[in-house]
Amino acid sequence: MRLSALLALASKVTLPRDYRYGMSRPGSLADRRKNPPGTRRRRVAVEPISDEDWHLFCGDTVEILEGKDAGKQGKVVQVIRQRNWVVLEGLNTHYRYVGKTAESRGTMIPSEAPLLHHQVKLVDPVDRKPTEVEWRFTEAGERVRVSSRSGRIIPKPDFPRADGIVPETWTDGPKDTSVEDALERTYVPRLKTLEEEVMEAMGIQETRRHKKVYWY
Amino acid sequence: MCRLLHTTLSRKGLEEFFDDPKNWGEEKVKSGASWTCQQLRNKSNEDLHKLWYVLLKERNMLLTLEQEAKRQRLPMPSPERLEKVIDSMDALDKVVQEREDALRLLQTGQEKARPGAWRRDIFGRIIWHKFKQWPIPWYLNKRYNRKRFFAMPYVERFVRLRLEKHARIEARKKSLEKKKEKFLQEKFPHLSEAQKSSQV
Repeated sequence: MRLSALLALASKVTLPRDYRYGMSRPGSLADRRKNPPGTRRRRVAVEPISDEDWHLFCGDTVEILEGKDAGKQGKVVQVIRQRNWVVLEGLNTHYRYVGKTAESRGTMIPSEAPLLHHQVKLVDPVDRKPTEVEWRFTEAGERVRVSSRSGRIIPKPDFPRADGIVPETWTDGPKDTSVEDALERTYVPRLKTLEEEVMEAMGIQETRRHKKVYWY
Repeated sequence: MCRLLHTTLSRKGLEEFFDDPKNWGEEKVKSGASWTCQQLRNKSNEDLHKLWYVLLKERNMLLTLEQEAKRQRLPMPSPERLEKVIDSMDALDKVVQEREDALRLLQTGQEKARPGAWRRDIFGRIIWHKFKQWPIPWYLNKRYNRKRFFAMPYVERFVRLRLEKHARIEARKKSLEKKKEKFLQEKFPHLSEAQKSSQV
């Protein structure tokens, strides 16, 4: 097996078949502490929602319908698709201690609990009321979320990229290719393999004759 | 800036295994996004050839850095750079394979680059035997003739048993699917109406 593939296998996290997804990232220390190998928990029923039908994204403003903070609006910070969970910023919180030692209790911080997709509703951007949302196509052919009550389009919110890059304030480093160079089209389709084209470009003449090999 | 000392490293070319000296000891190094397949499809074959070696050298540098960090028992600065380089190289390989496949299909009609054949091995299974390159023909090859591409009659019983095993596995999967469907129907009764309306 190729060495790179073998190494990739070693670093990939294999989860058990009936793994229960929680708030911690699978493979992290907290998750490994909570679910050591051999943990078997009761299976939770998760409603199967396809990727096309899912309408809640990070950065959306949603209103909570039931629970402790019912009626409050908040921004979605994290979406856990495996459990149909949505985590709002600062809402639906319970309190826990962080940095506990043998002597001190540590610091108390509010930690958000997740909400299921049917416990929150997207908020209409104009009248700021919760609405049901459908996926429809615009005149241009773009697939957008439209609120059923008023018919207004709810645009997909901007959320900072996971790799921390902010496209507006980006300057290329010494090893980065500039935008024009990266998007420049230099491909001319020809009936030649990569090897033949490179040999032409570098002026390599192949004078060796291929010895007869048998394939079986 | 004038360099009064000339290190021997630069003459041997080993400095390419290490990052820019300005980045030595940094906690984080900024890096851009990886090359996407669509961007690479717009590039000519010479550009792809050059880019492959640039990415290869960068990958070697990052792997050296990773190993050194492990040796020193320190965290590697910005390990996502290595993932981005590996993703870019995989995308490049995919694009080159696509181009090769297209050319081969056009010129010869062959779907696979490496020749092979469907053969029955000694266990009675029909397998895709990939051909190897040999310097001598098959009838002179001792090692190749020791391989048997036929099954003796006593193997038929085991072929039947294997078929039964596969049939049982498939049946179990089907019944598991049905049970899961039923369970989901009980828990989420609105699913069936949603499915029917979407199909209509």
